[in-house]
Amino acid sequence: MFDLKAVADAVITGNEAELAELVRTALDRGVPAKRIMDEGLLAGMDTVGDRMESEEMFIPEVLKAARAMGSVLKTLVPLLAEEDVGVAGSVLIGTVKGDLHDIGKNLVKMMLEGAGFKVFDLGVDVGPEKFLAEIRAGSPGLICLSSLLTTTMPMMKKVVDIISEHGFRDRVKIMVGGAPVTQEFADRIGADGFAADAGSAVKLAKTILGQATNL
Amino acid sequence: MDSKGYSGTQYRPLSDDQLKAIHESSLTILEKTGFTFESGLDETLEMVQKAGAKLDRERARIRFPRDLITTEVAKAPDRVVLYGREGAKDLDLGEHRVHMGTGGAAIKILDLETGEARATTLNDLHQLARLVDKLDNIHFFLRPCIPTDIPEAEYDVNVFYASLRATAKHVMGGVNDVDGLNQVIELASIIAGGREELKKTPFISVIAGFAISPLKLCTQSTLIMQEAARNGIPVALSCAPMAGSTSPLTMAGTLAQLHAEQMAGIAVCQLTNPGAPLLYGGIPGMANLHTMGYLGGAVECGIMNAAVHQLSHYIGVPNYNSSGLTDSKIPDTQAGWEKGITTLLAAMGGSNYVHHAAGMLESMIAVAYEQFVIDDEIIGMCCKVLRGIEVDAEHLALDVIDSVGPGSNFMTTDHTLRHMHTEYFGGNGVSDRKSRIKWEKGGALDARSRARRIVAKILAAEEKSYISEAQDQLIRGRFNVLLGN
Repeated sequence: MFDLKAVADAVITGNEAELAELVRTALDRGVPAKRIMDEGLLAGMDTVGDRMESEEMFIPEVLKAARAMGSVLKTLVPLLAEEDVGVAGSVLIGTVKGDLHDIGKNLVKMMLEGAGFKVFDLGVDVGPEKFLAEIRAGSPGLICLSSLLTTTMPMMKKVVDIISEHGFRDRVKIMVGGAPVTQEFADRIGADGFAADAGSAVKLAKTILGQATNL
Repeated sequence: MDSKGYSGTQYRPLSDDQLKAIHESSLTILEKTGFTFESGLDETLEMVQKAGAKLDRERARIRFPRDLITTEVAKAPDRVVLYGREGAKDLDLGEHRVHMGTGGAAIKILDLETGEARATTLNDLHQLARLVDKLDNIHFFLRPCIPTDIPEAEYDVNVFYASLRATAKHVMGGVNDVDGLNQVIELASIIAGGREELKKTPFISVIAGFAISPLKLCTQSTLIMQEAARNGIPVALSCAPMAGSTSPLTMAGTLAQLHAEQMAGIAVCQLTNPGAPLLYGGIPGMANLHTMGYLGGAVECGIMNAAVHQLSHYIGVPNYNSSGLTDSKIPDTQAGWEKGITTLLAAMGGSNYVHHAAGMLESMIAVAYEQFVIDDEIIGMCCKVLRGIEVDAEHLALDVIDSVGPGSNFMTTDHTLRHMHTEYFGGNGVSDRKSRIKWEKGGALDARSRARRIVAKILAAEEKSYISEAQDQLIRGRFNVLLGN
C-alpha cells in the first residue's frame, strides 16, 4: 500500500520535484486521484495552514508549499475530472477598480489554489462590469474582492450591487478583504463574508461554499 | 540564533583623551588618597607593603605608588574563560565580546500566581535556574536572589547546589566567608570529578565585593577574593559606588574613583597569585537624591557602564558590570524603557560580562519570573544589534533583484527562504505581532501575561538534573543540602 503521508510531507516541505515523483509513483501503483488529493495533498496543506496560524511557519514557506501543490495539481485535475470528482470550488478574484495593490490578493489566490480551489485572477483595477461579465461567462461559486485603499472600498459595494441588479446575487457568494476592510463593512455592503488574512480566507471559502453546496 | 560573544564598542562615551585623563586621575587617587581598612587584614597589608605600598597603621591608610599598580595590573590575564557544562557554551571573556545574564541578591519575588511581592525562597532560586536554563539569550546564571527561608550559615553550598542542579550554564555567586568559598569549591570539585578538573575548566566563579566605596577594603570580602585567586577560581571584583553618596555626584569623578578601586583590587589579587583570573568589576550606580537609596534604572547608569568597559579594556582586563536594572516595582512599561536603553548601551559598549541584565525589579530588591522571559527578549535584540549588517554578493542579491524583476515580489524566491530564519531576530515568542482581531481572540494579553504563560510552559516540563545520582549522593553525604530530591 502506498503511503500517502509521504505525499503530505512533501507538500509541507514544498519540495516540488519530490512531490511530483511521489504523485507519479502513486498513480502508477493505481492509487485513485481523489485519494491522492484528499489524503496526500489536501492533508499536507491542512497541516501547513495550521502551522501558519500557530506561527510555526513563515508565509514564504507556506507559499513554497502552495506552489508545489499548485504545480502537481496540473497533472491531477484532469484525472479528477475523469473520476468525476469536482475540485473544492471555483473562485473569481480581483483587486477593485482604482486600486493597484495585489500582494494580498496574490497570497489569497495561492492559498486557495493550494486548498484545491480553481481560481480565476482578474488582476488589479477591475471594474464592476468586468466582474459581472466573468460571472455570466463562467459561473464561479465565490467572488473575492480585495482593496488596500479606503478610497476604493466603496467599489466593493458597487460590485455587490451590480451583481444583485442583474439577478446573479443568489448564484454566487461574495467575500471581501484587505487591510482597511472590516467585518462591519462587509455586513454593511451585503457581502457574505470577510477574512482578515489569507489563512482565514481559505477557511471561510471552504465554509461558505460548503454551505452553498448543501442548499 | 546564538546571541553571545558578538563584539561591541559601537558606543564609546569616552574619547581617548578622556580615557587617559581618568586613568591618570585614578593612579593619583591611589597614590595620594589611598584606601582605608578595618581590622583582620594584617597579612594582606603586609603583602602589599612589602611590594612597595605606603602603610600608615595609625591613620588606617594605605597608599599605592603608580609603578606598583601599573606592574601588578599588567599581570592580570586579558582573557578569562567561564565554562559551562554538558555542551552549554563557554563564555570567552576578552576584547569587546559581549555576554549578558542574571544577577543580584534580591529578597523579594513577585508570586507567579498572585503577583504579590513576597520573600524569596530556595525553591524560587531553583525554579529560576530551571527557567533560565531554557532561555537562550541569558548566557549565564548568577544567583538572582537570596534563599531567605534557610539559615544564613547554609546559604553558600545551597545556592550553588540549587543552581548547578538546574542549569548547565556557567554559575556565579557570592559566598559568606572563606570557609563558605572552600565548601563551594569542594562541592564543585565533586561535580567536576576533582579539584584539578575544576581548576582547568571552572564552571563556577565568585563575586567578591572587596571594596566598600569610597576606597575602603572590606575585610571578609578581600579575604574571599584572595582565597579565590589562590585557588584559580575566577573572581569578579565587585565595587558599586552610588554617585552622590559613596562617590562624587559627577560621572567622571565616580569613574575615576571606581577605576582606582578596581586597580587596587586587581593589584592585591596579582600579588596573591600572579596571573590569577579575575574580572574588573566596577558597577557605577547613582544615589536616588530623594531617598539616598540605590538608583539602577537611570540612563546615566547605562552611559557609565559603557565607560567602565573602556576603562577595563584600557588596562587589558575583561570586565563584569550591569545593565537591565529598573526602579519599577513590576514588569511594566517603565521597566521596559529602562531595561531596553541600559542593556542596549551596555551591549554596544562592549562589556564582556553584563549581569543584572535579566529578571531584576525595584532597583535590585526584587525579581519576577516573567521578567526573565521579557529580558531574554531584550537581551536578544540588543546582542543582534552587534551583528550589524552583512553586505556581500549574497546579501546584496543583485541577481535576485534582476530575476524577480520590477513590479513583482520576493515572497517565494529561494533567496528569501534561504535567509528568513537568520537575517532577523526571532525571539522567544513573548513579542506579539498579530493583527488586532487575532490578538483579541487570543485573550488580548499584554506582555506580562504572555511572559507568564511562557514561564508556566517551561516550568511545567519535567525537571532535568545536571548533577548525576552518584554525585548527588556524595554531595548530600558531605553537605547539608536543603533542596528536596
